Amino acid sequence: MKILVAEDDQLMMKMLEFRLRKDGHDVIITHDGREAVAKLDEFQPDLVITDIMMPYLSGLEVVSAVKKKYPAGTPVIILSGMGQENVVLEAFQLGADDYMTKPFSPNELSVRVRRFDVSAVK
Amino acid sequence: MKGRSLIHLLSISWQIQNIAVAAVVILMICLLTFMLAYMLSQSLQEKKKQKWRMISDMLINKAIFFEERDEIEDQILASVLEAAKKLTGNKQFRKFITGELISAKKNISGTSSDSLKQFYLQLGLEQYALKNLESRQWYVKAQAIQELTIMDTDEFIDQLQAFTDDKNEYVRMEAQAAMVQFKGFEGLDFLDVITYPLSNWQQIKLLQLLSARPPSNIGIDKWFNSENPTVVIFALKLARNYHRFELHDAIASCLDHEDPDVRLEAIRCLNEIYTDETSDHLIGHFLREGLRNQVAMAKVMQTVGTKRDELFLFDLLTYDSDELKLHAARALVNASEDGWTSLERLSNRSEDAIARILMHIKAEKAA
Repeated sequence: MKILVAEDDQLMMKMLEFRLRKDGHDVIITHDGREAVAKLDEFQPDLVITDIMMPYLSGLEVVSAVKKKYPAGTPVIILSGMGQENVVLEAFQLGADDYMTKPFSPNELSVRVRRFDVSAVK
Repeated sequence: MKGRSLIHLLSISWQIQNIAVAAVVILMICLLTFMLAYMLSQSLQEKKKQKWRMISDMLINKAIFFEERDEIEDQILASVLEAAKKLTGNKQFRKFITGELISAKKNISGTSSDSLKQFYLQLGLEQYALKNLESRQWYVKAQAIQELTIMDTDEFIDQLQAFTDDKNEYVRMEAQAAMVQFKGFEGLDFLDVITYPLSNWQQIKLLQLLSARPPSNIGIDKWFNSENPTVVIFALKLARNYHRFELHDAIASCLDHEDPDVRLEAIRCLNEIYTDETSDHLIGHFLREGLRNQVAMAKVMQTVGTKRDELFLFDLLTYDSDELKLHAARALVNASEDGWTSLERLSNRSEDAIARILMHIKAEKAA
């Protein structure tokens, strides 16, 4: 599965990369929302995992951009420290497919990512 | 003579030139040596940091995949831990690795998070944090408390408890937050002993930490009798947030407290926790209060007022404060079905202010 990760925290990037690569995914890391949106065409991800608070473009704007570009597919998982109800609701209204709050369990992330892995389901 | 002195002068000038050239050469050599030494030290520093980063990455990696280890992985982990432990004597490394473990711990949960705690303990980093608790500098102490809390080292609760009434605000804030983090509602027992005030900010922080815990029916009412007024205020906030209706009478008794801020919090609390008798309590204490608390009481009357309070509410309409009048008028409208008619009748034969308030309430209702 090709996964595009948008995360501006170095350590989080590493942790996500470790986990997702170990699970056998092809991972591309971007450091802010703008870079994530710019890499969509080039990488054509099967899944996007994004933080919310990022420079240039927020994760919510990344969700909008992904859903605009791929109205029928490419799920987005939000992985954020912001757990307030209004933010979660806004994310889902914009089309986010899942929402995880930090601190997160890497094992749980693996399971949630697997849910979107069509090839694994088949 | 002239020729000889000219030669002498030329010789001196030549010597000066030589000295200048030598000085420039020496200066350049010094500069070059310094630059080379600086570059070498930078490169060594960078190599050192790379090694540290590698250790940190491996530890975090092992924490994330803790459950998926085999014998070889265990051996690798043991050697990484051993290498890291040797480096913990270096203050810079300690700062680096602690920072990395803390950042990772803040971001991950579950078994991976437990493994990070284990690595922290295995590296003996908690011993340095415990030593920092004895520091004379408040920020070192506060940082150590925060570190031990984030790393979930609940085995040191007793040491941290001692700082919940520290003379430094930031130290006690960290220690109090640590107690709640470790023990939830039970951790609030520091409220029994603290003598320093609980700032508004700290109260918000504690309530926020508690909101992540399931509600508990701990005895809040004992804190209504605390000699520390901020503890009473915080207890009232707890009662309000957790809908402790059984505490109504104890809350109402706080209307007799000597501190006006405590009384204000009690009034606000009665807006959430009330019975048929609440308005009697408020009316009975109304005249003893200043305008700020009277306005708060009038506001609560909108919720708790009934038809039998009409006389009191009409009386409020004669006060100078428009805010009081507005709350009283709203309370009258809410108190009984004919409250509105009575107000209209009054507005026809009294001052403009009542008529304006009535129009305002009409607009509110229409909206």
